[in-house]
Parts: sequence; C-alpha cells; structure tokens
Amino acid sequence: MISTRFVLKRLLLLVPVLVGVASLVFSILHLSPGDPALTIAGERASEEFVRQVEESLGLNDPIWVQYGRFLVDAAQFQFGESFIIQRNTAVREVLTNKLPVTLELAIYGQLIGISLGIPLGILSAVKQDTITDHLTRIGALAGISVPIFWSGPLLILLFAQMLGWLPTSGRISVLYNVEAIRVTGLVTVDTLIAGNWDMFVSAVRHMILPASVIGVYSMALISRMMRSSMLEVIRQDYMRTARAKGQGAKITVLKHGFRNAMIPVITVIGIQFGGLLGGAVLTETVFAIGGIGTLLVEAIKVGDYPIVQGTVLTFAFLFTLVNLGVDITYSVLDPRIEQ
Amino acid sequence: MSTETTTTNETSTDVDQRGLVDRLTASPFVSRLLSNRLALAGIAIIVAMVVIALYARLFLDLDVITQSQLGTNPNRAAPSLDFLFGTDGQARSLLPRVAYGAWYAMLFGTVTVAASTVLGVGLGIIAAYYGDVTDNVIMRTMDVLLAFPSLLLALALVAIFPDDLGLWRAVAALTLVYTPRFARVVRGAALTVLENEYIDATVALGAADPRVLVRHVLPNCLAPITVQSTLNFGLAIIDLAALSFLGFGAAAGTPSWGLMLSNGVSQGLLTGVWWWSFFPGFFLALTVLGFNLLGDGMRDALDPRMREAVD
Repeated sequence: MISTRFVLKRLLLLVPVLVGVASLVFSILHLSPGDPALTIAGERASEEFVRQVEESLGLNDPIWVQYGRFLVDAAQFQFGESFIIQRNTAVREVLTNKLPVTLELAIYGQLIGISLGIPLGILSAVKQDTITDHLTRIGALAGISVPIFWSGPLLILLFAQMLGWLPTSGRISVLYNVEAIRVTGLVTVDTLIAGNWDMFVSAVRHMILPASVIGVYSMALISRMMRSSMLEVIRQDYMRTARAKGQGAKITVLKHGFRNAMIPVITVIGIQFGGLLGGAVLTETVFAIGGIGTLLVEAIKVGDYPIVQGTVLTFAFLFTLVNLGVDITYSVLDPRIEQ
Repeated sequence: MSTETTTTNETSTDVDQRGLVDRLTASPFVSRLLSNRLALAGIAIIVAMVVIALYARLFLDLDVITQSQLGTNPNRAAPSLDFLFGTDGQARSLLPRVAYGAWYAMLFGTVTVAASTVLGVGLGIIAAYYGDVTDNVIMRTMDVLLAFPSLLLALALVAIFPDDLGLWRAVAALTLVYTPRFARVVRGAALTVLENEYIDATVALGAADPRVLVRHVLPNCLAPITVQSTLNFGLAIIDLAALSFLGFGAAAGTPSWGLMLSNGVSQGLLTGVWWWSFFPGFFLALTVLGFNLLGDGMRDALDPRMREAVD
C-alpha cells in the first residue's frame, strides 16, 4: 500500500522541480529578443520615458537580483500587470478569468478520451487479430494522425456550416451573459447552478465539437497504450496461473491484467494531460474560445512578458500536480517502484 | 515459421554470401513485418511521401512555388485539370506547394525524432542503472522539462531562437521537449528489466556496465522505445505543423503544410475555398498515419513475447 513517507518525499522533491521550472521560464524570457520597457512605453516614446519604465520594472538591477525577486514573486503567484493585452490589470486576475475556460475544455476532452480509450484498448487486446481489433486499431491510428487544426475546421464546415446542427465557435450563444452568473468559471457548471436550462444546453452544444476534437486524440493515444500494455500482461505467467486455477477469462483480465496493464497507461494519461493543454491552445484558436491558450499565443506575439510568465508557470504548476498524482498512482499499482 | 529455422541452422558464412535482399527477407523481423498488411500500407505511404519529397526537392523551383502568381494564375481557383489541387489566395498552384511540404515534413520530422530518441534513451537507461544521485539529477532535470505541457514549452522555447532559423528553431525546441518522454518511459522499462535475475547473473559474471546496458537492458526496452518513437514521429510532424499553424514556425510564403493549412483555414475555409486547407491537411494526416501504421507493425515484429504468442 501507499506509504506517507513516499508521498512526503515526492512532495519535497516538487520544490526543486518548481524552482527549476521558474528558473527555466526566467531564462527563456531573458534570452528572448525584445525590450520589455520599449514594448510598454511604445515605439514613439521619449528615451527618458523608456528609462523610467526600465527603472520601475527593475530591469537595471543585476540579473541575480532580478532572478531572486522573480522567484519570490512567482512563489506568491505575483506576476505584475499586463503590458498590452489588458493594460494595468494584474496578471493573476487575467489568469483567474481565463483558466477555467481551458480547464473545462481539457477536462471534458480527457473524460471522453479515458472513458472510450481504456475499454477500446482492452477490447482490442482481448480480441487480438479479429475484425474488432483491426477496426479499433485503425480508428485509433487515424485519431492520432489527424491534426486537431485540420479536423476541427472540417468538423465546423460539416456540422456548423453545412448541416447547421452545432454552433461554429465560442463557449455559449452571444445572447447569454455568462459573466453575470459566474461562480466557478466553468460554463457548463455555472449555467446549472443558475438553474437556466436553455443556457446549459447552449453551453453543452458549444462544448461538443471542441471537446470531441481533443477527446478523440486523447482516446487514440490511451487505447493504443492500453492495447499494447494489456497484450504484454496477458502473456505473463501469473495470468496463465490464474486461468489454470479455474478463474474465468473476464475476471482474470479485469482483476489481474487491468491493474498491471494500467501502469504504462497512467504515464500516458499523465503526459497526455499536458498534450491536452497544448491541444487546448490549438482548439481554442480553431474554435475562437478565449482561454489561457489563445492568451499565451497572443502574449508571445505582442511581447506581453508578465502574461507569458504567468501563463507558462500556471500551466507548468498544474501539470506538475498531475505528474505527482501519476507517480503516486504508479506506486500504488506497482509497489516495487517505491524502492 | 520456416524461414527463421533455416536462418538459424545456416552458418554465418552462408548468410554472408547471399545477396542483401535475401538476407533481409530471411530475417524473422523483416519477414514478420512484411506479412503485416497494415505495416505494408504504412511503408507504401512513407515510400510515396519520400518519393514526392525528393521529387519536389530536386525538380521543383522553390521560387516559383513561393512567389505570388496573381495575374498569372486564376486566384482561389477550384481544383481542375489545370490545377489539380486548385490555387490559393496568392494564385499559387497548391499541388507543387503540397508536394514541397512533404520534403519539409520528412526532413524536419526525421531530425527531431532522431535527436530526441538518442538523447532520451541514453539518459533513461543511465538513470535506471546507476540510480541514486545520477538518477535523481537526470530525472529531476527531465521533470523540469516534463513539467511543461509540450506544445507550450515548444512555444516558449521557439521564442528564444532567432527568426531567421525558420523551421530549425521549431526542430531545436521540439527535440528538447521530446527527450524527457523517452527518458521517462525507458527508465521505467529499464527498472523492470533490472529486476530480472539474468541481469544479476550477467553482472556476477563480470560484464562491464556498458555491456550490461547495451546487450541486456536496451534490447529488453525496445518495445516501449519503439512505441514511443512511433508516437513521436507522428507527433513531431504534427507539432512542427502546429507551430507553423500558430505562426511560430515556417516564414511567410514557405510551402510547409502547417502554414498552408493556417492560411487556408483563416482566409478560405468559411468562404467555400475548402481545397486551400483540405489538401495540405490531408497529406499531413496521411504521412503521420503512414508512420503510425509502420511503427505499430514494427512493434509487433520486434517484441519477442508477441512473436512467441503468435507462432
């Protein structure tokens, strides 16, 4: 079983990882071309004003002073104010508004991926080399091979433009004001809390295409790994022993096989969560959903460094927590890893 | 499996005297791979793409493909006998542009995957075998890189390389992004392999570390490495296109699939000019599918446990 010591050790190990993450972000931004002071002041600003901005940002301090200040600020999730995108608004506030949008998309995508990918993978392995297996594998391969930024636009063309069944873009019909009922920031949840059925339906209809596009990709990866992992496990001696004892095929696969086969699958799900957040950048772009992904792309393009720092670190922090969960689950499933 | 039995019974001199083709088809791995229809389809797609890529690189004039053809060709013309894939918003014929895109995808995809596989496998096996401090230093560094969602790290990294590197900066960024995945998967697999008694036996017999790692640990980690390389070849080609799609890869006008797709979607798709984005995306998806089909077949052919079960 899982030991408290193992979890504590893992949590302690997170500290250097997060310091490493913050250091990498700091280095990346300092290596990037472009002058933040000039970006804020504007191209036509007087030299004197640019100097003032530099001073107020602390850009004239030695690099290690800036680094120390950055670490202290990052530890408190303080990234200053946005330069350009939402001028004079705290980055923390911008992120708080946009993060739920991306999380909602990623969560629905991952739910679709896991709930379809795991059963399909097991089915494919158990029925190896049958029609079911071939179809599932070809489907999964197609799912991995088709880029989100191609399938997304084609689905919009088909289901929104030609058939008119689903909306083309956005999170909810423009007729509704989601901000007025904001509680969690997750639009499918907030509309339910408000008890407005029409708004909820609109939110769900807007979620179907983007979540499916992301989910199919995730499903394909999960079912592939589940299949190959299960095929390896099925050939293990303990599986034969269980069958020889007279245990039924289904129970053997689900009880002995599933747990062991899940180990690599969990790694994939963990890594895939990052893929989903990256996929969210593309999906948000394609479906014109204003989440943290489109925010980051815009911020990099216009050079809004505080937003870039805040967004990248927030993504990394979330993803690190998921990885911690993966490690802990890993050790529950295979106690040998703990040693 | 008769070929396998024949091969093992022959002496090495016999094998050496035969032609290369005979030797290849006699290998159980190759013969198994060639008996897998899906893998064959994958090989066919890849060969076709390589031929298209080489043809485009050798025989097409990049200047003509890149420059605007407004006034020369009809603008946004639908596919016809004159322009099989139609023309784009600069009146450029899409057929040669899509063909040239194959060259970019193959070249940059191969470099990215090769570099990250070599780096990641080496680091992963060393971490698992030496453990302790070595393991911690390597894997915590990998953790820092893994702590970023891949496309986001790639976006952040791309920004530090100068613009004039074009797609090469995307290659450099993605190599760094993929390396930790290989390291992590390989380390996990190697840890399991190291639990086996035959490793203890090899060490007890006095085998040096490199021999244990290369001869005994590495071959038993091949399945996950293959799966990971397979997944990553497709991912590399898609991610390279994705970076271009978001505006951080190929320079404007470059006939890369990602950039054509981006322009086609934003400027043409919803006004009915579907061919502008359809053909680059279709060839992108087809190429990735080819590598995924082949990779799957290789996995089945390489893994001795699979072979034993099927025979």
